[in-house]
Amino acid sequence: MKLNIEGLLVYFPYDYIYPEQYSYMLELKRTLDAKGHGVLEMPSGTGKTISLLSLIVAYQRAFPLEVTKLIYCSRTVPEIEKVVEELRKLMEFYSKETGETNNFLALALSSRKNLCIHPEVSSLRFGKEVDGKCHSLTASYIRAQRHSNPNQPVCRFYEEFDAVGRQVPLPAGIYNLDDLKDFGRRKGWCPYYLARYAILHANIVVYSYHYLLDPKIADLVSKELAKKSVVVFDEAHNIDNVCIDSMSVNITRRTLDRCQNNVDTLQNTIQKIKETDAAKLREEYRRLVDGLKEASVARETDIYLSNPVLPDEILQEAVPGTIRTAEHFVGFLRRFLEYLKSRLRVQHVVQESTPQFLKDIFDKVCIDRKPLRFCAERLQSLLRTLEIADIADFSAVTLISNFATLVSTYSQGFTIIIEPFEDRTPTIANPVLHFSCMDPSIAIKPVFQRFQSVVITSGTLSPLDIYPRILDFRPVTMASFTMTLARTCLCPLIVGRGNDQVALSSKFETREDFAVIRNYGNLLLEMSAVVPDGIVAFFTSYVYMENIVASWYEQGILENIQRNKLIFIETQDAAETSMALEKYQEACENGRGAILLSVARGKVSEGIDFVHHFGRAVIMFGVPYVYTQSRILKARLEYLRDQFQIRENDFLTFDAMRHAAQCVGRAIRGKTDYGLMIFADKRYARADKRGKLPRWIQEHITDGSLNLTVDETVQLSKHFLRQMAQPFRQEDQLGLSLLTLEQLQSEEMLKKITQIAHQT
Amino acid sequence: MDEEPERAKRWEGGYERTWEVLKEDESGSLKATVEEILFQSKRKRVIESHGQVRLGMMRHLYVVIDCSRSMEDQDLKPNRLTSTLKLMEAFVEEYFDQNPISQVGIIMTKNKRAEKLTDLAGNPKKHITALQKAVDSVCVGEPSLYNSLSLAVQTLKHMPGHTSREILIILSSLTTCDPANIYELIKTLKSLKVRVSVIGLSAEVRVCTVLTRETGGSYHVILDESHFKELLMLHVKPPPSSSASECSLIRMGFPQHTIASLSDQDAKPSFSMSHLDGGGGSGPGLSLGGYFCPQCHAKYTELPVECKVCGLTLVSAPHLARSFHHLFPLDAFTEIPEEEHHGDRFCQACQGELKDKSVFMCPSCHSVFCVECDLFIHDSLHCCPCCIHNQSGP
Repeated sequence: MKLNIEGLLVYFPYDYIYPEQYSYMLELKRTLDAKGHGVLEMPSGTGKTISLLSLIVAYQRAFPLEVTKLIYCSRTVPEIEKVVEELRKLMEFYSKETGETNNFLALALSSRKNLCIHPEVSSLRFGKEVDGKCHSLTASYIRAQRHSNPNQPVCRFYEEFDAVGRQVPLPAGIYNLDDLKDFGRRKGWCPYYLARYAILHANIVVYSYHYLLDPKIADLVSKELAKKSVVVFDEAHNIDNVCIDSMSVNITRRTLDRCQNNVDTLQNTIQKIKETDAAKLREEYRRLVDGLKEASVARETDIYLSNPVLPDEILQEAVPGTIRTAEHFVGFLRRFLEYLKSRLRVQHVVQESTPQFLKDIFDKVCIDRKPLRFCAERLQSLLRTLEIADIADFSAVTLISNFATLVSTYSQGFTIIIEPFEDRTPTIANPVLHFSCMDPSIAIKPVFQRFQSVVITSGTLSPLDIYPRILDFRPVTMASFTMTLARTCLCPLIVGRGNDQVALSSKFETREDFAVIRNYGNLLLEMSAVVPDGIVAFFTSYVYMENIVASWYEQGILENIQRNKLIFIETQDAAETSMALEKYQEACENGRGAILLSVARGKVSEGIDFVHHFGRAVIMFGVPYVYTQSRILKARLEYLRDQFQIRENDFLTFDAMRHAAQCVGRAIRGKTDYGLMIFADKRYARADKRGKLPRWIQEHITDGSLNLTVDETVQLSKHFLRQMAQPFRQEDQLGLSLLTLEQLQSEEMLKKITQIAHQT
Repeated sequence: MDEEPERAKRWEGGYERTWEVLKEDESGSLKATVEEILFQSKRKRVIESHGQVRLGMMRHLYVVIDCSRSMEDQDLKPNRLTSTLKLMEAFVEEYFDQNPISQVGIIMTKNKRAEKLTDLAGNPKKHITALQKAVDSVCVGEPSLYNSLSLAVQTLKHMPGHTSREILIILSSLTTCDPANIYELIKTLKSLKVRVSVIGLSAEVRVCTVLTRETGGSYHVILDESHFKELLMLHVKPPPSSSASECSLIRMGFPQHTIASLSDQDAKPSFSMSHLDGGGGSGPGLSLGGYFCPQCHAKYTELPVECKVCGLTLVSAPHLARSFHHLFPLDAFTEIPEEEHHGDRFCQACQGELKDKSVFMCPSCHSVFCVECDLFIHDSLHCCPCCIHNQSGP
């Protein structure tokens, strides 16, 4: 259907539209008009992706000079593929309606592992191996060597692409990863480099967060993207953690040992080259004197692991004299390494700021701040000069040098914590140096500065106002949309008491309480008897889950549950977990019924959807607060308080509630789906917790569903499940939660739509 | 285990929010209440069933009754099992009333096993006595869908192609314990054209959704006891036969009931064939009169029955006449919004005032009826009272 969104003609590839989609597009349009940033929350399963795409594509067509590019960032490869498929549908609709062929170019980009078509390289299993192998076939000096030595193996796909591919632009169309590979195979071009080159002139790019946020990769891939782009971060409820992770470094003893080996190898190689080809080292030295800004002829393949964000002026400067020659630099690295080793030998926990660290390192081993800053860049140069083909082995030394550069560049927003052992195992020495970023805005700042509109969207972003604060930007629109429903297909219940009136809570004081554990067990047992197919239960942590399950076993509760459903458990082992998941789904599929016990913040809570029968109920045992004793967290909380005036408790609650919302949101993946959301902790009933849940969940929590006992919960669930099992067809939705064009245009409906968006 | 006996006490059984059902109606403007949707579907059922469809008149139906632990639940009074069996008795009566030349068998499943309560047979009494006896049976363990289905199929697959093969499962449990992959069995059922329908007593289970969708049956979950009854009675009506099913002429015998006078010296008391295997059980086996098969003169005391000797189906003419109305159903009445209707303000049938949003008009005689009467006419009367009245008049 064709829509008129405040004067903009939008093609929408479906016959029906949800009212909230229309409202979402309105808000989005206003964001783009204002050329500002936006935060939009809309429940999953209401067609966020297609609304975003339809509107932005329409905008691009209407104002080609205002918005030149859409950069769509998603989290996982399957999600990326899904976006491209929606886009394809949209484009087909366009060409059907307008009758003209499209000149739109849209493509997905992923790592070499997903795009390589070289027969040997692509058969490798791990991303790192693929990258390393690719590098050893395509690096500029390897290709240079081939001129003298034709036996030197190179990648023919890259050669072909380099020779021809750059001149010929990628023909217009929609390319997902497989399309790119097919195209590459047909032409004999490398799809990865083709895609990386093509994103510069593509209209729509779909890729992972890291290509924009991780400074090590962003510098490579996204540097030259036009300013007039719209950036969309989908599923962005965890964006601050992604930012922080991309800037943090953890160093263990193992890293240092491997790094030691790397340095030794470097030393030997330098020695060897010195005997055979001293001129090369001299050449490098000369180049470094001239400055770091080198000719970027064959640069793109060479920079394999690039430096973290460096202020531009550093790149203009010359590398300081102390680390200019190769031997000196290796010596410098050795000293730095020894220093780190000595630091890891501590017996007690140390926490210091970056200036403190720099002063200490200067006092102890006389390393100045300036050479440290150039460490990463210098290492790259050296690796290039030494023509070390397999860079994958050098990840340890690269990590250390990145750390050196980061620690000397930023004096604020970071902290260094050295822990001699883990808190849980205080007897086993396992020293770790955490170089931890506390300010997510550092990583995302370039994105907000460079691009005209950045849209952050997800199903669970409540409370909306905290994101602009922790990411340090000023949005023009902030809105939360509810889900219009023809029948109430979600049923949030807050269980506060057991049948014996014992308050249910996972808070620290009552965590070990036998009565609480028994009542939790009772809840699961009773629910397993009334909920069909799959139940997903989330615990606050692995330790807590282990404790509870162990005592359920002793009390015989587990045995009783197993008469109703099979039990599967998520563990920290990824392979084990995916096995459990597979079997869980099988058990749901063939009617045996199953319970998956998993952990909030775990793999299951973030990435796995439990559609329809795979998740008829989600039970959240306790409030998933982070482990508050962690020093990194404490440092971050302190920083948030000092810099952004966010109180510790506010942030902790916000963080806990967004994870809880994520967990329970797993059950509802669309309007035809239905599910119970059970919050088993009396603290959820408090206004400060409840108020932080997304609005689309909150509005279904009535006073009658607060502080229930287990019995009441069972009664309500039974009633709800029977209601939901009644036949439900599309016609029942029409006019209420699903609209045709005519219905959309009616006065009354337009008035209703304006109430869907909830501005903050 | 120890919580089971305690739960048997009513006052400890937890809150039953009977008022919830009423509350739903007035909740928020956005939500269409489930009841309304249900009402719509009720009407739809009446409309849908009218069309030129071929109906399977000869039905072979196995009813599988879940007797697992969950049948002890007391959300139906006094408990699920008793309530189900009571309704089943009514169902069996009604079924034979509407489908006199069809057969029913009952299977019970509990403790991961399935066993036949009664074999496929056309005698309602036998089933009803069996059902009455079953009230005392203990509910234990889990049901097994696979075992019950395969037990039913073993018999059903030998039934002739022109009859409809059906299984109706009354499932209370939310779990099933199967010895093998049930999806293989579903494929077999599909190829054998067995139609499986399920009535769930607690909630929607995925495997049942797939089972019914694949085999062309229906899947319903009950809301309360009256809804349960309604859903059960849906299965009384013969389902449309699939176009693939065979057509054939069937030989039937219409035996005369002969009563030999006691004075007749030639008459000798004889056993009814159906008593020979002890299946009948009740009543004196030896009698003078009875129905004699026109082909082989075997004697039966009750009709309809399949002759044990020559395999001929024996029915009486009234039986056939009773299933007649399925073939010529009454046309659906047209629904007219109340505002547009100008005419009588009273329902022609019950003489009550027309208060609902819409009224229903018979397309042939243009009399108007209220919703309730519309349903009654279509479900029970099968003919429009006004049309009949006009015909018999001058």
